[in-house]
Amino acid sequence: MTEIELSTAEAELYDRQIRLWGIESQEKLRAANVLLIGVRGLGSEIAKNILLSGINSLTVLDNGIVTEEELQKNFLLNQESMGSNIAEAILTKAQALNPLVKLTTETEPVSEKPDKYFQTFTIVVATGLSSKQLVRIDSICRNSNVQFICGDVFGMFGYSLADFQEHEFYEDQVKLPTKTKRTHEGKPTETSEKTTVKIQRKLSYPPIDQVLPTSEKKIVKSGVPGKTKRCNELYYLMRLLIQFRDQNNRDPSFNSKEDDLKKLKEIREEIIHRYQVNEEKLREDVFNLIFGEVVPVCAVVGGVIAQEVIKAVSHKEVPIHNLFLLNPYNFCGKEQIVGA
Amino acid sequence: MSPSTVPCVLTEKVREIIPTSKILVVGAGGIGCEILKNLALSGFADIEIIDLDTIDVSNLNRQFLFRKEHVGKSKAMVARESVLSYNPNISIKAYHDSVTTQEYGVNFFKRFKVVLNALDNRAARNHVNRMCLAADVPLIESGTAGYVGQVEFIKKGLTQCYECQPKPPQKTFPGCTIRNTPSEPVHCIVWGKHLFNQLFGEDDPDQDVSPDTADPEAAGSAGLNAAASETETGNVQRTSTRQWAQQSNYDAAKLFNKFFKDDIEYLLTMENLWKTRKPPKPLNWREAASHEGDADNSIDSVRATDMQVWPISKCAQVFASSIDILKEALSKKEFLVWDKDDKPALDFVTACANIRGHIFSIPQKSRFDVKSIAGNIIPAIATTNAMVAGLVVLMVFKVLAEDYENCNSIYVRQKSIHSNVVIAPDYHLIKANPKCYVCSPQPYVGVSVNVDVMTVKEFETEILKKTLNMIAPDAILDGKGVFVISSEEGETEANNDKKLSELGIVDGSILKVDDFLQNYNLTIGVNHYVAKEKDDPPYKVVADVDDLKPSVENGQQNGSTESSEEKHSKMEVDGNAGDDDDDLEIVDKPDEDDPQEGTSSKRRKLNPPEDEDDDLIMLDDP
Ligand SMILES: [Zn+2]
Repeated sequence: MTEIELSTAEAELYDRQIRLWGIESQEKLRAANVLLIGVRGLGSEIAKNILLSGINSLTVLDNGIVTEEELQKNFLLNQESMGSNIAEAILTKAQALNPLVKLTTETEPVSEKPDKYFQTFTIVVATGLSSKQLVRIDSICRNSNVQFICGDVFGMFGYSLADFQEHEFYEDQVKLPTKTKRTHEGKPTETSEKTTVKIQRKLSYPPIDQVLPTSEKKIVKSGVPGKTKRCNELYYLMRLLIQFRDQNNRDPSFNSKEDDLKKLKEIREEIIHRYQVNEEKLREDVFNLIFGEVVPVCAVVGGVIAQEVIKAVSHKEVPIHNLFLLNPYNFCGKEQIVGA
Repeated sequence: MSPSTVPCVLTEKVREIIPTSKILVVGAGGIGCEILKNLALSGFADIEIIDLDTIDVSNLNRQFLFRKEHVGKSKAMVARESVLSYNPNISIKAYHDSVTTQEYGVNFFKRFKVVLNALDNRAARNHVNRMCLAADVPLIESGTAGYVGQVEFIKKGLTQCYECQPKPPQKTFPGCTIRNTPSEPVHCIVWGKHLFNQLFGEDDPDQDVSPDTADPEAAGSAGLNAAASETETGNVQRTSTRQWAQQSNYDAAKLFNKFFKDDIEYLLTMENLWKTRKPPKPLNWREAASHEGDADNSIDSVRATDMQVWPISKCAQVFASSIDILKEALSKKEFLVWDKDDKPALDFVTACANIRGHIFSIPQKSRFDVKSIAGNIIPAIATTNAMVAGLVVLMVFKVLAEDYENCNSIYVRQKSIHSNVVIAPDYHLIKANPKCYVCSPQPYVGVSVNVDVMTVKEFETEILKKTLNMIAPDAILDGKGVFVISSEEGETEANNDKKLSELGIVDGSILKVDDFLQNYNLTIGVNHYVAKEKDDPPYKVVADVDDLKPSVENGQQNGSTESSEEKHSKMEVDGNAGDDDDDLEIVDKPDEDDPQEGTSSKRRKLNPPEDEDDDLIMLDDP
C-alpha cells in the first residue's frame, strides 16, 4: 500500500471531498480494497457511497437472484436483470458511478469462501448475514488485521456494528483565533488565523462475538447484554431480529406477517427473560415497523456505514464505537458501546 | 406502476396517497439527486424537479445520477432521465429553470402536496419559503456542509418559517484592511480578487486596491499629507487602474512594480499605520523573478502545483503568464468575470495573494487553499447528502400522514468523542417568531438609511432585492400615496436616480411594499441614519427594532457587537457566499452543528455529552 499520487483527473473528480478530509485520506482511500457482502436495498446504498468516495477496488458478493421485490428497492438494477444473479446484475450501473474503481463480482455464497479469501481486503462490509457468519468472518478478519463492519435495515429500523480492532486515528481540531487584540488606540487588529491541530486517538473494539454471543456461556462483561445498565433497548431489538433471521433463514416478511409476528413475540419473551429487559421499553408494537427494507432508511444507514468505512480506511475522524442504532420512530441515531 | 414499492410499514392511508401525491423537488444537486432516488423507490409517481444549473465535473463525486458524459448538461433533465432508467413507470417533469422566475407563481406551488428544498443558496431558499407560505403548502428544507446537515419542516401557522431567525450576515472586511493593513491570508486573497476585477473585470468602485488615504488610523501621518496633496492635484491616481493597465499594454513588469513596489512604498509613507504593525517590504519585479532562497520545484504533480505553496519566483512567473492569458481573453470581451474554476483567473489571484502575503509577512497559501477561500467552497460529500435525503423522505411520510407534531427538525452531526448522538432530532416543533418580517400577520421591518444619499434605484436593488430578497417589488409611500417603485417596466423609471428624500421619504416615513410574485406585503419603517465611522455599514435592515441596541450578552462576551456575527460566519469572503456549491446550508445553529466551532466553550455548554440520556431514547414514543 504505497502512497500513490493522485492524477489531475482524480484531483478534479474528488475535489470537494479532498477539501473536507484532505489529500492524505484520499490517498488512503485510493489504496483500499473493499469487500461488500450483500447488495440489496442497504447494500446498494453502501456500494454507491463507497464507489463515489474513490477506493481502489470493490468486490461485490451476493448469491441472490433478482426478484420483483429487489427491483423495486434497488436503483442499481433494471427490468432486464430479472432472474439473474444480483451481484452481476448491478455491475453496469455500479461501474458507471465511478469508472476509476476496479469493480468485481462474486456469485458464490459467502459460507463457501475459505478463510484466506477475506484476508486480501482492507475492510469487509457485510449486510444480510446470520450471526454465525458475522462471527466467523469477523474472527478471520481479526486474525489478519482486516477491518470489519456489518449492518442491516429492518423496515424503519437500522443498525451498524463495527470491529475496527485496535483502531488508531487522528482528528483535526480547529483552534479558533485567540481573542481579538486591541492596539492602544482601541482599534481591533491582527486576529490570527484559525489553526488546525492533529489529535491522535485510539479506540479498542470488541470482537463481534462479544456483541452477538452465539451461545449462552459467551455472555459478556460490563455495560452489556447481561447487565441492562444503560443499554439502549434498540440493541435488544437488533438481537431479536438477528435471532429471527438465524432461526428462519430469512428476514420477517410482510407476506407472512401474522406468522412472523408470532415468532417475533416469542423471541421477544425469551430476550426479555434472558436479559431482564424492561418490557415497557421493548414493546410489541415496534414489530409493525420492521418489515421490508425501507429505501430512505437504507439511504440513512447506508450513509452512516459508508462514512464509517471511509473513517476506518483513512484513519481519520472519530468513528462510531461500536454500535449505531437508528430509532424507528423519531430517527434519532446513536452510538452504543456494547461488549467492550 | 406497481404499488408494492410503497413501504409496507406505512399506514394504509399513507400507502394509498403516495402514488398520487405530487411532489416538487427544488434543486437537482447532491441532496436533490438522492431525494429523487428515494422518492422513485418509495412509490411516488408524480414528481417535478427544477434546477437552473448545469453539471460540472466536481459534482460527480456525489451527484450520482450524473456521469462524465453529462458534464455541461442540465441537471434537472439528466436527473429525470437517469431516474426513469431504473423506474420507467413514473412521471417526472423536469424544468431547467430558475425557481424565482414569474412562471412559478403561487398557483404553480399550490399544485403540490409537499415541496422539498434541496438548494444551494439563501436567496432561492427565502423565495421558496415565501411561495410555500403564500400557497400554504408544507415545505421540507434541507442542507449539508461537510459532515453536518439538517432537515427542517415548515408549515404556515404551525412552525417557524425559513426566515424567522435572522441568518448570520456574510462576512466582509473593512476596505482599509484590504487596501492598507492586511493581516491574514484571506485579506490578501480578497485583494487579489479585487485586483483581478480592476484589471479585467467589471468596474466596481468598492473594490479599489490602491492605498486608502482616508484610513482614519493613518490620519496625521506626516508623509501622508505630502503625498495626499499630490494626489489631490491629480496625478496618476486619478486615472483608473484599468486605463493605466491598458496604456501599459498589461506589461507584467510594470504592473508588478506598481502594485508591489510603488503602492507599498506609498503605504509606508502613512507612518501611523506601522507604529504597532510590522511594515510591509516593497518588492520589485527583478528581485521577485530571481528570488533567492526558493527551492527548485519543477515536479509537475498535483501535489506540487496545487497543494504546495509556490515560491516567490514562481508567483512572479505565474503573475506574468496568467496576465498574458487574461489579456488575450479580455480582448474578445468587454470584461471578464472572476471564476474559481477558470485556471488563469485562479492562478492570477493565487500569485497576487501570495506576493502580497510575502510583502506583509503573512503566511502564504497553496492554490488549492486559495480556491477554497476565494471560491467560498463548502465541501460536500455523498454520505452526508445520502443521510439527509433519506431523512427528508422519511419526513415526507410523516407529512402525508399529517403527523405534523412529529415533524421535528433533525440534525446530522459529526461524530465526536464528546457525544454519542450522530442523528439528533429536536424535541418539539419550533414556533414562529412573532416578529418575523416574512410570516408574521403584519410583517414589518425597520430600515436605517441615509435618505439624502441613497437613490430609489439603490433602495430597490440593495435593500428590497438583495437584502429582503424580493423579486418584483412595488413600493408606495404611506399616507401620501406616492408611487415610489413599480414592478411594471418604465412606470417609475423617472424616480430611479432621485434621492429618497426628494420623493418625501424621510426619517419616520412608512413604505408599503408588495411583491406580487411572492404574494408578500411588507411595511418598512424608514429611519434616517448617517454612517459615522468609515467602516459603518451604509444601511441597516432590522426585523426587530430592539435589535438596534447592542445586546448586553454579546457585549460582555466579545467586547464588541460585531464579533457575535464573526463568530457565526463561515468561510464567506465577499458578496457571493454560498453561490458556489449545491447542498450548502448555512446551518442555523452553528453552535451545535458546526465542527469549526468545536473548541469554543459555549458549544460545550449547549451540547453536553449525552451519556446521561440514553434512557430517553426508548421505544415508547407514540
Ligand atoms: Zn417566519
